[in-house]
Amino acid sequence: MSSLRKGYLHLAMQSIRTSRTRSFMTMLGIVISVASVIVVVAIGQGVRQQIGNQAARYGQDVLLVRPNQAGNELTGSGLPGGTGALLNASDLSVTRSTPGVSVAVPLSAVTGQVRGDYTIPNPLIIATTPQLTDILHQSIDYGGFFTASDTEQTAVLGADIANRLFSDNAPLGQKFTLRGQRFVVAGVFKQFTAAPFSLEANYNQAVFIPYDAAQNLLGTAPQINEMFVKIKPGNNPNEVARALQHAITDAHGGTNDIVVLPPGAKGSNSDQTLHLLTLMTVGVAIIALLLGGVGIMNMMLVSVAERIHEIGLRKAIGATDRQIMRQFVTEAFAISFVGSFIGLLVSFAAIGLLRLYTSLQPVIVWEVAALAPLIAIAAGVFFGAIPAMKAARMDPIEALRHE
Amino acid sequence: MSLIELKDVSKLYGFGDATSVALDEVNLTIESGECVAVMGPSGSGKSTLMNMIGLLDHPTHGDYVLNGKRVSHISVTRRAKIRRDKIGFIFQSFNLLGRLTALENVALPLLYKGFPTSKRNHIARTMLERVGLHDRTYYYPRQLSGGQTQCVAIARALVNSPEIIIADEPTGNLDTESSRLVMELLGEIHKSGNTIIFVTHNPELTRYATRVVYMQDGAIKYDEQTKLGEVGTYARKVMYAVPDTTEEDDLAGVSVLMKVRKDDTVKPSTKRKRTPARRKARLTRSEDGRKAQS
Repeated sequence: MSSLRKGYLHLAMQSIRTSRTRSFMTMLGIVISVASVIVVVAIGQGVRQQIGNQAARYGQDVLLVRPNQAGNELTGSGLPGGTGALLNASDLSVTRSTPGVSVAVPLSAVTGQVRGDYTIPNPLIIATTPQLTDILHQSIDYGGFFTASDTEQTAVLGADIANRLFSDNAPLGQKFTLRGQRFVVAGVFKQFTAAPFSLEANYNQAVFIPYDAAQNLLGTAPQINEMFVKIKPGNNPNEVARALQHAITDAHGGTNDIVVLPPGAKGSNSDQTLHLLTLMTVGVAIIALLLGGVGIMNMMLVSVAERIHEIGLRKAIGATDRQIMRQFVTEAFAISFVGSFIGLLVSFAAIGLLRLYTSLQPVIVWEVAALAPLIAIAAGVFFGAIPAMKAARMDPIEALRHE
Repeated sequence: MSLIELKDVSKLYGFGDATSVALDEVNLTIESGECVAVMGPSGSGKSTLMNMIGLLDHPTHGDYVLNGKRVSHISVTRRAKIRRDKIGFIFQSFNLLGRLTALENVALPLLYKGFPTSKRNHIARTMLERVGLHDRTYYYPRQLSGGQTQCVAIARALVNSPEIIIADEPTGNLDTESSRLVMELLGEIHKSGNTIIFVTHNPELTRYATRVVYMQDGAIKYDEQTKLGEVGTYARKVMYAVPDTTEEDDLAGVSVLMKVRKDDTVKPSTKRKRTPARRKARLTRSEDGRKAQS
């Protein structure tokens, strides 16, 4: 049997060599389908990991307190509640006094023009407290976060806005003006790969100022758009969330105008995105593999049509239907095998290039890298079998008459 | 036990009114070691008969017994295996695969026997030597002359050491010199014990046959044992009838066959039926006779 198969592989290779262009084009189809499947899945996985990392990094012990309305991108703040936020300083103290709460960090959107070396008319300015870093775990590239003991008015910048605001590469210690007051840059955040807890706000474009400084700017305690609440260890996050919901609703005179999101719910938005992403990836993969298979079938049909006479001769000299079929299936197998292998190499190269030259961080999913070629080969053989069957069932006399 | 026995074999094509008869209740027995020349005008069923004997086709009615086994209605796979093991085909158009070398072409039938490559090539080489083409082993068919190509095809037909060689007009595409070469080769193969059945239009080539079968309208019209080296009696008639066709006849579509002479001395072995075609042929002949007199 092995000798038989050796013979067929030889035949298949011969046939591939003689119709080089056609075989190459078909192979290209397989190469592209296999490579695209692996690359698309790798990109999907990369995005998943980045988003997933964020969720994991911002912890299972952080609650989110938001007004009961979504942020509106049109108002420019990018934070929940927009400019008409419903939380205020007293809610902050209510939160802090709720049992089980260890830290409560307010996030307030402040409007205003920021003037450094360049002027940015309406950036996202977030007034917050120094404990923000405890919750974000985002490392700071230069300098540090502002502390309660700062004597000057300090600020921390997102990575992108730091570049936009100053011509100098080192923004640390530079000064900018906001609403007529000077701020010193105390630190610059490392690039955020995704916005923590919310998909709306881009923290890389945000200016962070102390909550107290904002109070100075505005004259009153600023409205709070969002609160990060860290719970004390040993407390059930869901129970604390419920207690918090009660406390603030009571403080608002029974109006249920805020939501407290427990840790599990935070990622719900991105979870759905991930799910859709996975579905899309699978869809693209199936279509790509199918196309590769159809390409093989097409090529094999042409190959069979071109060689009707040859098939007739082979049958006349004693090839059984099964042997003819095997010859063509082997050809389909050889093409899809070589194509898959090249596709694998191409995908690795493409992923390498993407990692080097783009901000995408594709991650090779080894299961897919192993399965995609196998499925491509299976599809090739399956689709190749249809024309092969056609070839095998030909009547030898009529086939011989065909020129 | 005869090697080949055809019993009332008919082959019909089409249905109803459109039915055409390719073979009409043919009875033919061929013993092992015979060399049979099959003659007849085109459309007389020679090729269908060859396909039938070579198991490429199966009869609509009747029985085919090969080596004592009934093979008229066996499965396509068994049919293919019998072709592979017992029958060698030689075609008018050679039918070598252009992208294979002479050696690979000859070795092809062995592939379907499942022989390993080295064994295939060894046997194929021996066969090429036998047909005198060992110095053309790695030539491609397009690099060979017509005669050489047909010799490669003969080597391919022999490579399975089949009992029966079926050659459908093996010299049809060859010049006289190459034809002689090919027929000499077939003659040698016959001497070494193979049964050969070949179709030819050239009466001269019946010298290589021990038996001449003449077909017409899907039936065997004439069947004669001849000595090797002699042209068959009936074939000779056809041969001498050839010059009788005039340009006029060609235009009228009168074939050589219709002009076979009236003074037949040899009685045909099978009964001749009166058909409109034959009556017409006779009339044509008598007309010609009158013309000749005046």
